[in-house]
Amino acid sequence: MSNIIMHVDVNSAFLSWTAAYEQQMGLERDIREVASVIGGNEENRHGIVLAKSMKAKKYGIKTGNSLMEARLMCPNLLVVPPNYQVYVRASKSLYELLNTFSPDIEVFSIDECFIRFMDLNKEKAIELAYSIKEQIKQVFGYTVNIGISTNKLLAKMAGDFEKPDKCHTCFPEEIKEKMWILPVENLFMVGRRTQPKLNKLGIYTIGDLANADFNLISTLLKSHGRLIYAYANGHDASTFKPPTPIKSVGNSSTLKFNVEDIETAHVIILSLVEMTAWRLREAKMMCSVVSISIKDSSFGYISRQKKLQYFTDCTQDIYKNICSLFDKVWDKNPIRQLGVSVSDLDEAKFQQLSIFKDRNSLNNEKLDKVIDKIREKYGDAAIIRGVFANSDLEPLLGGYPDDEYPGMSSIL
Amino acid sequence: MKILNQPIKVMAIFYPDGKIQPVKFRLDEKAVIVEKIIKSYEEKIVGNKRVVFVCIHNGKDIYELKYEIDSKTWFLFKK
Repeated sequence: MSNIIMHVDVNSAFLSWTAAYEQQMGLERDIREVASVIGGNEENRHGIVLAKSMKAKKYGIKTGNSLMEARLMCPNLLVVPPNYQVYVRASKSLYELLNTFSPDIEVFSIDECFIRFMDLNKEKAIELAYSIKEQIKQVFGYTVNIGISTNKLLAKMAGDFEKPDKCHTCFPEEIKEKMWILPVENLFMVGRRTQPKLNKLGIYTIGDLANADFNLISTLLKSHGRLIYAYANGHDASTFKPPTPIKSVGNSSTLKFNVEDIETAHVIILSLVEMTAWRLREAKMMCSVVSISIKDSSFGYISRQKKLQYFTDCTQDIYKNICSLFDKVWDKNPIRQLGVSVSDLDEAKFQQLSIFKDRNSLNNEKLDKVIDKIREKYGDAAIIRGVFANSDLEPLLGGYPDDEYPGMSSIL
Repeated sequence: MKILNQPIKVMAIFYPDGKIQPVKFRLDEKAVIVEKIIKSYEEKIVGNKRVVFVCIHNGKDIYELKYEIDSKTWFLFKK
């Protein structure tokens, strides 16, 4: 009996979720059965492949390809827009269900998580994994892969063996037979940049890496080399992280057009802050650090943050501070993407009165509360700031809350 | 049976124990009385909760009504 870790990964998450949702809405097509991708809006310059069906994969389409590239590979490709509301709800309900099997769940991204079971034998673990997989399929209408092992790295590797709708084990004694035969680029943390370096050393499989000279790998690839060497041997010293309270709230968006003037930039910052500050108040938190990130048209990236003298959840306060930060750091290069975020959060129960706050702050806070209530009752667009009245700019911006799900993290 | 998934106006009883019972609904300006519910269950496809009522009309025609919890909307799903 030992600790068992399972890695649950939704197969082509965005595509499976969209397909199952479409079926629930009564659409007769099943986008899983044809060559299809979930892709952002090309007009708004979000045109990349976010997820692909198995049939689309056969054409060589990869996640992250531009939609134009994908269409060249498969002319009859069906492109379906993403629906983040559906994805966030699907993810939350999946984790709720998994919680009924074990209280120890570590959320890794919107569609991946680890579950830990104490004192479970291997046979029981495999049986349990199959029943979890079947229950998800039956209740939620989509398939997952489950990897079973004794640490997170091996569980994740097992989950990736063969897809979709499968359970695999990769216990330490199975590493040689199941993991070492795989190409080295299949190992977690070996990416496009590391693979050619390893190939140059004659390392083509995970087994080659595991049996390579540790000193050579360590000298050439430094700490990253030591990490992947340990991974190749199935060693993973990472701990199981319980859920932590949110540390930051933020929204970002790639813009429809390059922004070259400060007035438009300020208006876009306002639309992002509207969303972020609303989410901050929803979480009943206040912040004392605000930050801005700017990506320009040549993909240069600047990010700066500022510590405030007080805690706030007021849209106007956050907006003013982020604008002053923006004015200081922007180098006038055309902007492609803007992001705002707030951190150093504290619960909004008690608040120290501050002499540094704007005189209108108290009034603005009351106003925020009223606006929130109106939006909750009548929808996001029921009340908007005057600057958005006759413009094409969206009054609230930032669809995908990127801080709640950190995406593919490099840290297990 | 045709899949419609059409939002409709419904008159229903919401019992204090949480049970829901559709009584009649409006379709093409006509009121249709729910004669008999033969089965009811909850579906949770991708986490979207809907209470499904499989009903029978004129003693033989089967149709489905669905109540979506999040949007508080009734649908005539199949008829």
